[in-house]
Amino acid sequence: MTQWDILLQQVINGVSLGAMYSLLALGFTMVYGIIELINFAHFNVFMVGSFIAMWALVAMGFAGQSHVLHGLPLIGVLAVAFLATMLGTGILGVVIERFALRPLRNVSGTAPMITTIGLSYILYNVILLGAGADSKNYSNPMPNTHWDFLGGVTLRLREVLLWVVSLVLMVALHYFVRHTKMGKAMQAMAQDQEAARMVGIDVDRVVMLTFFLGSALAGAAGLIFGLYYNYTSYLIGYKAGLRAFTAAVLGGIGNIPGAMIGGVVIGLIESLGGQYIAVRWTDVIIFSLLVLVLVLRPTGLLGRAAPSKS
Amino acid sequence: MHRKYTRRAFNAGVASIAVIAATDGTGALAQEKVVKIGITVPLTGADAEDATRIKDGATLAFDEANAKGGVAGYKIVPVVYDNGTATAGQYDPAQAATNTKKLVADPQVIANVGPEMSGDGKAMSPILSEADMATITPASTNPDITNPAMAHQFRPKGKAVYFRTVTTDAFQGPNMANFYKERLHVKSVYVLDDSGAYGVGLANAFEAQAKKIGIKVLGHDQLDPREADYTTVLTKIKSLNPDAIYYGGVAQAGVKLAKQAYETVPKMIKGGGDGIQGGSFLKGGGFPAVEGWYCTIAGPHLTESPAAAQFMRDYHAKFNDVPSDYSITAYDAAKVILAAVEAVAKSGKPMNRSTIRDAIQSSHVKTLQGEVAFDKNGDILDRTVSVFQYHQNPNAPADDLAKQQKYLGAAPQTA
Repeated sequence: MTQWDILLQQVINGVSLGAMYSLLALGFTMVYGIIELINFAHFNVFMVGSFIAMWALVAMGFAGQSHVLHGLPLIGVLAVAFLATMLGTGILGVVIERFALRPLRNVSGTAPMITTIGLSYILYNVILLGAGADSKNYSNPMPNTHWDFLGGVTLRLREVLLWVVSLVLMVALHYFVRHTKMGKAMQAMAQDQEAARMVGIDVDRVVMLTFFLGSALAGAAGLIFGLYYNYTSYLIGYKAGLRAFTAAVLGGIGNIPGAMIGGVVIGLIESLGGQYIAVRWTDVIIFSLLVLVLVLRPTGLLGRAAPSKS
Repeated sequence: MHRKYTRRAFNAGVASIAVIAATDGTGALAQEKVVKIGITVPLTGADAEDATRIKDGATLAFDEANAKGGVAGYKIVPVVYDNGTATAGQYDPAQAATNTKKLVADPQVIANVGPEMSGDGKAMSPILSEADMATITPASTNPDITNPAMAHQFRPKGKAVYFRTVTTDAFQGPNMANFYKERLHVKSVYVLDDSGAYGVGLANAFEAQAKKIGIKVLGHDQLDPREADYTTVLTKIKSLNPDAIYYGGVAQAGVKLAKQAYETVPKMIKGGGDGIQGGSFLKGGGFPAVEGWYCTIAGPHLTESPAAAQFMRDYHAKFNDVPSDYSITAYDAAKVILAAVEAVAKSGKPMNRSTIRDAIQSSHVKTLQGEVAFDKNGDILDRTVSVFQYHQNPNAPADDLAKQQKYLGAAPQTA
């Protein structure tokens, strides 16, 4: 492999990682945009999503990577798995909002944020107790199809799937927020909650919908994680969640395209930093860059300076 | 009315608990001579599966002794503590230290079996030294803990307290380097570790010997066990194209490494130490990811030896599970402690930690792996390292370790 092949391969790796971080970052950024809450439960909603997806695949008769499908059956099985997972985590998000966060909606200060940290630990421990602590061998019906080109650069089917699914979900979300009535209500809420209420927007419904969408995207990311790495464990939420949160802040928290770009930037730093510096410095590089961006552009890459909505 | 009733019931409950506690505390213990022996392994987290097999191996020895009416009139009471935590997701040295302090605080505890992990061992050894209490590890292999040059750190009181029924990574790593060169004809290698005490030590010992015998070491990277993605480092390895990878570490990072290495560098020779010789790696990794991986144990291969046949049957009957080689070294460790209890009881010396430690130090005990004896640092005299390779057997259960890997023999010994 030449220098350029290696670079290209690491860019492929980095964009794949980044796509996953982006999906996860969207949930943080949407919730923050609407109710200015950093939802740390999101970390482990993602983790629960990867388990729901695994159980869905097991229920459909897949164990380990031995049973491989191709063509239409594969698309069918994956579609069912994505639907089941996104519905599952979406409902989980709604339940969290309805029973743990709505009662605290008008409490000022950090109480709601601390509550989300508590919820995150509850999810983490429920899965630990329920599913055990060992790394799970993920059920995966995808074939190990890959294409080699140039001097040994490999592009795998699962990377293509990851990119396509992420792109479709992000475009769909963008369309939803920009062009549907509910999406416009979300935008209105983000701009001014009080005024939105005055013109007759049902605030509770919009918040609930935001949690549903954000959590459903986290579930999709959880399934993609499992398919991509062939493994899951109750631990995966922390690292991925922290990176995704960083991506959201980097892109400008509250800003949807910013979260997507932030995720890809973080993914690329991770892969290129690992190649040219050292893997163990990855976190140092990521967080140094975050500090640098926030010092030079406190609102993040795409964030705009918004008046405080107190 | 309702409230009054419940309160009365509650009071009655408290009273009866108090009565039970009182009789248990004074009556039972005064009549019967008891010694307590700790078992400390990480039963929570990625290491749980192999740790359970170690715990069960030791438990079996204690149960057998009690079934025969105890040892020299003493009933054996195992005290099991979990060295793993949910926060670490695997073994947790801080928890190991806490557990050791709990053991030391109970004067009836006279010795301990464990730990499984060297990171735990490093935390435990100084505390044990202060208390003059011996532990026998059936699995932890980092040489620092028993290294006399580091005695001020790990045994400040001077006497050996950390005994082993396996050899150390000072042999496990280098012997595997010999195996790479002599049997697999490896000329260049890339070394990885999982940043833990055990993994770093093993990988460094391998690397030093590899360089010495002329294997080219193309690089050495450290993996974060809580990280999900190792494709970055694997891509780097792919571009350097070494003949082989050597991984020093346990299953948590090992499982992910195996899966991603299968996709990135499927044809490369891959191997590691006893951290990936076990059910946690096999079950978490699964085939085809673990196919072809080499691994070692820091002792002789025993589960197929005639001497252990009875043990294998008893273990299976009791726990309905297939024991690992480290179940046997744990059983042996327990046997050494029981022999020490018997020796102290017969000698007429007081039964306490110091006398038990001295008895263990000078012991020559016939066990399943042959006669176990220790040098003055606590290391076992036998230095065999056995090599295995994962190879799928589609007719056996996918998680049956004994059937899903082949025993390749002992690795060439380093002088």
